[in-house]
Amino acid sequence: MAAKKLNIKDKYRLLTRDLDWEFSYQDHKKAFPFEEFEGIKITDWSKWEDPFRLTMDAYWKYQAEKERKLYAIFDAFAQNNGQLNISDPRYVNALKVFLTGVSPLEYQAFQGFAHTGRQFGGVGARVACQMQSIDELRHVQTQVHAMSHYNKFFDGLQDWSHMHDRVWYLSVPKSFFNDARAAGPFEFMVAIGFSFEYVLTNLLFVPFMSGAAYNGDMATVTFGFSAQSDEARHMTLGLEVIKFLLEQHEDNVPIVQKWIDKWFWRGTRLLTIVSMMMDYMLPNKVMSWKEAWEVYFEEAGGALFKDLARYGIRMPKHADLIAKEKEHVSHQAWWIFYTHGHAAGFHTWIPTDEELDWLSEKYPDTFDKYYRPRWELAKEMEAKGERFYTKALPQLCTTCQIPMGFTEMDNPTQISYRESIYKDERYHFCSDGCKEIFDEEPEKYVQSWLPVHQIFQGNCGGPDVEDVLRDYYRMNVGADNLDIKGSPDEERWKKWKGVA
Amino acid sequence: MSYEVTVEPTGDVIEVEEGQTILDAALRQGVWLPFACGHGTCATCKVQVLEGEADLGNASTFALMDMERDEGKVLVCCAMPESDMVIEADIDVDPDFQGHPVRDFVGRVTEIVDLSPTIKGITLALDDSMAFQAGQYVNLTIPGVEGTRAFSIANTPGDSDRLELHVRKVPGGAGTTWLHEQLKEGDSLDVSGPYGQFFVRKSDDRGTIFIAGGSGLSSPQSMILDLLSEGDTRPIYLFQGARNVAELYNRDVFEALAAEHDNFHYIPALNEPREDENWHGFKGFVHEAAVQHFDNRFNGHKAYLCGPPPMIDAAITALMQGRLFEQDIHMEKFLTAADGTDDQPRSALFKRI
Repeated sequence: MAAKKLNIKDKYRLLTRDLDWEFSYQDHKKAFPFEEFEGIKITDWSKWEDPFRLTMDAYWKYQAEKERKLYAIFDAFAQNNGQLNISDPRYVNALKVFLTGVSPLEYQAFQGFAHTGRQFGGVGARVACQMQSIDELRHVQTQVHAMSHYNKFFDGLQDWSHMHDRVWYLSVPKSFFNDARAAGPFEFMVAIGFSFEYVLTNLLFVPFMSGAAYNGDMATVTFGFSAQSDEARHMTLGLEVIKFLLEQHEDNVPIVQKWIDKWFWRGTRLLTIVSMMMDYMLPNKVMSWKEAWEVYFEEAGGALFKDLARYGIRMPKHADLIAKEKEHVSHQAWWIFYTHGHAAGFHTWIPTDEELDWLSEKYPDTFDKYYRPRWELAKEMEAKGERFYTKALPQLCTTCQIPMGFTEMDNPTQISYRESIYKDERYHFCSDGCKEIFDEEPEKYVQSWLPVHQIFQGNCGGPDVEDVLRDYYRMNVGADNLDIKGSPDEERWKKWKGVA
Repeated sequence: MSYEVTVEPTGDVIEVEEGQTILDAALRQGVWLPFACGHGTCATCKVQVLEGEADLGNASTFALMDMERDEGKVLVCCAMPESDMVIEADIDVDPDFQGHPVRDFVGRVTEIVDLSPTIKGITLALDDSMAFQAGQYVNLTIPGVEGTRAFSIANTPGDSDRLELHVRKVPGGAGTTWLHEQLKEGDSLDVSGPYGQFFVRKSDDRGTIFIAGGSGLSSPQSMILDLLSEGDTRPIYLFQGARNVAELYNRDVFEALAAEHDNFHYIPALNEPREDENWHGFKGFVHEAAVQHFDNRFNGHKAYLCGPPPMIDAAITALMQGRLFEQDIHMEKFLTAADGTDDQPRSALFKRI
């Protein structure tokens, strides 16, 4: 009788999981030293169900094909001067935020999954992390290559990795990932594999990539689709991690809950930057941040937490507050950047009248009442030649590192302000969520590299802000920063388009 | 117009309407296929087409690349059949699944009894013997009713020339109303089967918990009779839920079995017993009876659930909170037209429950 055909699971087992070995003369605990200190109890790694069954040979074959397709489109985009087909030069500023703020996170994810995968005693989890690690490296590379074409024609894209390490607002995404990578392997997986990949990246990849399409940016749309085809594996890995931890031991449940509380809060704070890109930086709008949040977080996340409730997991802490924030955060964030436009590595602007009307329509409960009057005032001041810039450096939240510009959600004219005293030092926070995260692990967060503190301590050159921007951040002052109006970007665009 | 899609390696058959995606039809018919994004960008739901043709829909060219299209791969979240199809998905065949072929039979009604005020027991003599596993179901074609209706088999596979079915009269249900009001002894009905993945995982010898509600006693009855007739010695628990004593049918059968077999335990639960019934057993929902009996610790068992969706849902939650998880929970949901289609968004967390 001919051998029965192997099913995919058996093939995967033989080509992947079977490559593991028993430790006979070395201590398993010494080989995987990080597996226990977080308090997570794993009783049986063999219960790990592989979230996807992909063998390495098939992986290379698929990824090579994706690259071939993707780079053909990049080439066509470059040869056809694709930058001339975008909706408006303001759009490129969203790409500047993406390249300096998000793409380096892909690189951090690559490092994080490589490290974390090494620390798991179970081979199934190790292999899954290894593939995700390589995916993330591919994502950062394709993003850099997609943007490199824009770098030939627009300011602000030239030194993205250096800027990611130093620029004040970029410490928000950088510190988010540093926090996850400095945690234990299981917390990293709950933070990035589950909270970030499963629930939050959809908000980045789906609406923002549609935004790229609406604004004529085929290169970005294409890398978005290419990355999204890997994201499924990442999402299923995140789900398997959660199920595995919750089923392995009941003592894991409260630990996982604590991590979910922490990383959903950290994630929503991080996504503030995406909210601003969606509502203010895309000249052709896809949907408002509020709408995206309702579809991708409230509906999809709601269904997930309904299922997780069976394990005794509840909605992330502060979910009620998060529901209110969708009405406010994009407006508060763009206002922070508008008033600090001289210190940003991209251009800022006041929304056009049509855009203000669109915001009024999308945010009927908050925009006209709280935010439109500010923009009307800013417009008036600019018309009088009194464009307003904040001269002082902002106070930062010690946990999320965002300037303290968010308000109380039930009182949107009052800045939300919390503090903790630890070893006679006072620390400041934007919210209860961020304060609680600090209070849980103060020794970790007192080490935060807060950009404003560093400037005041003289660690970033100076003495003036302009010196810091030019010498420490390596911005081209006068070209990379300030308003789009009157910028070299705008001048070049007008010349290409033959507009006076 | 609809097409039949056979899913290998399990052999499940689903009916897909014109313009409907394979995934949508599969999930609605209780057949799980791997999926994540649901709109053609992630490739989690990629399958190999073995026979037939499909419109590929809006599959992204990165999720389903040209070379894969050439190899006959499709994404079931976007693909719409253009003929009957056979697809091979990345799903496991259960080692306890015997895979008896589905065939068409004619059944002659030999007996109709009132099991309870709302449930009739209908016995059909088959024109040929049907090989099936205890727990599986058949589809009946009911005169004047479009499509077929599914009923679990209540007799044991050893008794393969006949079918015993338990039919609850569903208010407003055309099929069950016809069976209750029009069907007579001597009538013939078209039957096909056996179907379903609900059967005892006999290779796993852990203690077995059955939770049954209403006419959902049918499958567990077959499974328990089958186990006990084989002399199986594992601990077996049957929690039978009903509204009141009148609805608690076949109680004498199971009380007798419990008296005869040390390893079989019978725990009925009534949620609304009438005053005059003088009920001294468990009062409350059937899952609550199980929680009380096992002191909220279910790990180390296998559980089999059969009954209406709210009972199944409550039982799953109770079992999981008592540390018994998806891979050890098996179920057959009795859906009726009144349950409608579940349009709530589903997460991809669970595969089968």
